[in-house]
Amino acid sequence: MAVINFEFSKKIKKYGAKDFDACFNCGTCTAICDLSDADNSFPRKMIRYTTLGIQDEIKTSLDPWLCYYCGDCSQSCPRQADPGNLMMSLRRWLTSKYDWTGLSGLLYRHMWAYIIGFLFIALAIVGAFMSDVFTQSVWLHYGHLFEMLAIASVFVVILFPNIIRMWYFSVWKPTKKFKIKPYFVAISDLLVHMFTQKRSLDCQKEHTDTLWYVEHLLLVFSYLSLLVITVFLDWFSTESALVNVFGYVVSGVIFIVTADFVRRRIHKTSEKSKFSHPSDWFFVIWLFMMGLSAFAVRLFIDLDLLENNFWLYLFHLTVLVQWALIIVPFGKWTHFLYRSFAMYFARILNMPATEKGKK
Amino acid sequence: MKERIGVYICHCGGNISDYVDVEEVQQLMKEEDGVVVAKHVMFACADSNQKEMISDIQDQHLDAIVVASCSPKLHTHTFRGVAERAGLNKYNYIQANIREQCSWPHSDKPLDATHKAVGLIRAAIKKAALSEALESIEIEAKDACLVIGAGVAGMKAAIELARIGTQVYLIEKEAHVGGKMLENGTLFMTGEDGKDLAARLLSEVKANPKITLFTETEIEKVTGSVGNFSVDVRVRMAGTNTETMKLMAGSVLVTSGYQHYQPKENEFGYGMSDRVITLPELKKRMEENNGVLLHNGKPVKSLGFIYCVGSRQSKGEHKYCSRTCCSSAIHTALLLKEKNKDLNMVHLYRDIRTYGKQEILYEKSSKQGDIYMKYEEKEPPVVDVSNDNISVSVKDYLTSKKEIEFKPDLLVLVTGMVARDDSKDIASQFKIPVGGDKFFNEIHPKLKPVETVINGVFIGGSCQGPKNISESVQSSLSAVSKISALIKDGLIQLEPIIARVNADACTWCGKCAEVCEYDALKEITFNGKQIAEVNPATCKGCGICTPVCPQDALEVKMYTNEEIESMIDGFMAEVVIPEKAVGEGTEEISPVKMKEYPQLWKQIVSSIGTEHKTIPEIAQSIGADKDLVTWHLMTMNKYNVVMADGMDEKEQYYYYKLKI
Repeated sequence: MAVINFEFSKKIKKYGAKDFDACFNCGTCTAICDLSDADNSFPRKMIRYTTLGIQDEIKTSLDPWLCYYCGDCSQSCPRQADPGNLMMSLRRWLTSKYDWTGLSGLLYRHMWAYIIGFLFIALAIVGAFMSDVFTQSVWLHYGHLFEMLAIASVFVVILFPNIIRMWYFSVWKPTKKFKIKPYFVAISDLLVHMFTQKRSLDCQKEHTDTLWYVEHLLLVFSYLSLLVITVFLDWFSTESALVNVFGYVVSGVIFIVTADFVRRRIHKTSEKSKFSHPSDWFFVIWLFMMGLSAFAVRLFIDLDLLENNFWLYLFHLTVLVQWALIIVPFGKWTHFLYRSFAMYFARILNMPATEKGKK
Repeated sequence: MKERIGVYICHCGGNISDYVDVEEVQQLMKEEDGVVVAKHVMFACADSNQKEMISDIQDQHLDAIVVASCSPKLHTHTFRGVAERAGLNKYNYIQANIREQCSWPHSDKPLDATHKAVGLIRAAIKKAALSEALESIEIEAKDACLVIGAGVAGMKAAIELARIGTQVYLIEKEAHVGGKMLENGTLFMTGEDGKDLAARLLSEVKANPKITLFTETEIEKVTGSVGNFSVDVRVRMAGTNTETMKLMAGSVLVTSGYQHYQPKENEFGYGMSDRVITLPELKKRMEENNGVLLHNGKPVKSLGFIYCVGSRQSKGEHKYCSRTCCSSAIHTALLLKEKNKDLNMVHLYRDIRTYGKQEILYEKSSKQGDIYMKYEEKEPPVVDVSNDNISVSVKDYLTSKKEIEFKPDLLVLVTGMVARDDSKDIASQFKIPVGGDKFFNEIHPKLKPVETVINGVFIGGSCQGPKNISESVQSSLSAVSKISALIKDGLIQLEPIIARVNADACTWCGKCAEVCEYDALKEITFNGKQIAEVNPATCKGCGICTPVCPQDALEVKMYTNEEIESMIDGFMAEVVIPEKAVGEGTEEISPVKMKEYPQLWKQIVSSIGTEHKTIPEIAQSIGADKDLVTWHLMTMNKYNVVMADGMDEKEQYYYYKLKI
């Protein structure tokens, strides 16, 4: 028997939820959703659980991740209850539930936590530089090494355990079953969804936002490429013209695309960019600064200006570290993992059903 | 005995004449005793025929008329009007129904239908021959009205009646006026206070010299009838003394209101804990602390509402929806939230019926975060009372019937409206019929919504069934207009078709008075002996007294034994239709064709074909009269043979096409 929790609906508002109280359960949102189906029916059910505060049902559900926020539900809601925005807020809340450190929740609920974190990192870097312990070349050489280490430890210490927690909540708890085979069969789903967001194309079949899809796809590949180029191919000191040009291209793509994303959020061009939580702003703005500063640093190197303008590199490094230590483990970056793993787990969960259907 | 009778046989544009050989019938009717004029006409109700009837009556000095056409329900008033305009008493016109009772049901047997039509018309002629000229009964009416119950409906009606000059006696059982409206604080829409509104009405009542208000007053005895009711009321004077007064009124308006449903012991935990209360009790508690809700001195943090308590009981006594409780409960929830910011509210409902503008309340309440859960009657919420705590569990139909539990500080049962316990006294005093729900019954819910079957007695407000304040006032004001239309003239006209006592035969045994439902028969002394007398104001002419009379001393006008017997003779008399006519009749209208539809329908159908046409176009193409086509097309439309298909270019006529 589930017990009503009056506090949950108030709490979820801190994660960005707004007018879901107005819902009168007509179910238009679920009916109109292109992605909702018999196995995973949403968003009405999620709104209901939120209203009643039945957290267990939400925590063990993958449904919020299966939504790509096309906004059809919000547009057709007769009560302007904004189901799409609630699903987005539930994804933030789930992120904080998966995170064993509890920092995600703190950051999502309080903007000041973000700002303190950013300031702390910036001050640490500036302080370290002022202390003159390292030379410029050490900074240049080990900067990215540090980034790599940071990302690696974030993965091992935070993201990997979180994925396990996600699996525990959404797969193990409801089923209490484990069979290894489906995990191999479904691995292709994991990879496809992680890198292509293919499922989002099913949203609003008649008027798919293709431009957004292409931009997002480019951003994912450019971001990953930039990571590889700076960390493994040592872009800032490479001699290879090919690598160099490629670096310019991907970093350029990052700041151009993110600039457009910022524009979308400012002008609220679609349902998905209508409500921006601080975490959304930090995510796009830091990506933008990362792309732009990387581009500028390499440009300064090529023009031999960096030595006298080393602040630029420090700025770039600050952005990177803030990104790697705050946004990647606790912020919006995680949707890259959770969304694709949700698809993977959902496939695994639905597998016996699909096999039955085929017979 | 009427000896110059006119008979009019209607074709009804084919409805009758397609099956009944009206021309032959007319020939036969000419031969009947006393018949001076016999005609068959396309439409008896048409203006042209009405004029012709009037000139026949005047030129031929007719003393009675028979119209053989449709049901008297349709055209009694039309032909009574014809008779009156021609200077004939309207009760000397008799209707014979040869459509609903003849041509339509016997459309497969035209010859037999013709025989039956002859019988029906002969019976009507016999009745017409014996018909009497009757005059409407006129009763003097007192320009005064007794209003029972000084709630919002009664007070408002009293004020408006007084405004048009009628003397009003407003009687109230309680010591104070205002009724249930006093239980309400802020009212929805206007934001006024229920008590203030009552006080305002009271000051208007007091200021009006035409209104006499009696509080702490009950009805003792009712005599008299429409126009002259005489009502004895018992008024409480100082202390426990009472005084009986007689009030005379031309009309009575009952606005006695309702009472709250009282939950049974342990119905949703009621009576088992002071944490389970009804909605009126909640309103009272709110009032005590100026809107702040406390329980045992502590602020209430969570509140549950269970809706439809004592309403919509599919197996219980109260099957109806009480209409007002959803809005009232939700409005209360909104008022509570204003003063109790941290209060969480859960509404367990079956269906939310905040109709009309009240929908705003529901929207506001859900937007403020109130939780709504839907249950079904077959799986009601279960309330568990233990120690000082209550726990409510419910199968929420909006959460895939998941069992949901919560522990509210207070549980409010949203109780419905039920008929007052004392309304049965009023019902028996005035003979107002009550329904299965025990509320007073009107004559017709749509067309006579405030009239009762008792002449001069009207109902308004929630004594008739659940109503909110606006609806109560609306209904009592519509009663006001009916009352003033009835009594304002000073004279009330009543239908003269009532019972009549044969003073010579009557020996007063009282049996008639026993069976009369309207108290219309009284014992009187006449020429030194006891006989029954009919009160023309209350007799409805139902005829129940006539068969019980052992002396056969009672009869109902227009339905005397003599008339009925002569009608039977007329109907049973042999019908001889000449050989030739039978041949022609069967040849023209074969039964097989008639089973489907008249010939003209076929022509219309083939004329329209696959296109669409207007009435003039169809009339032209089949060479028929435009009116005739109109008539048939309307019937075809009714029976889904054709349907309208937009208007023509001049927006003058509709197009019609075949419905497939």
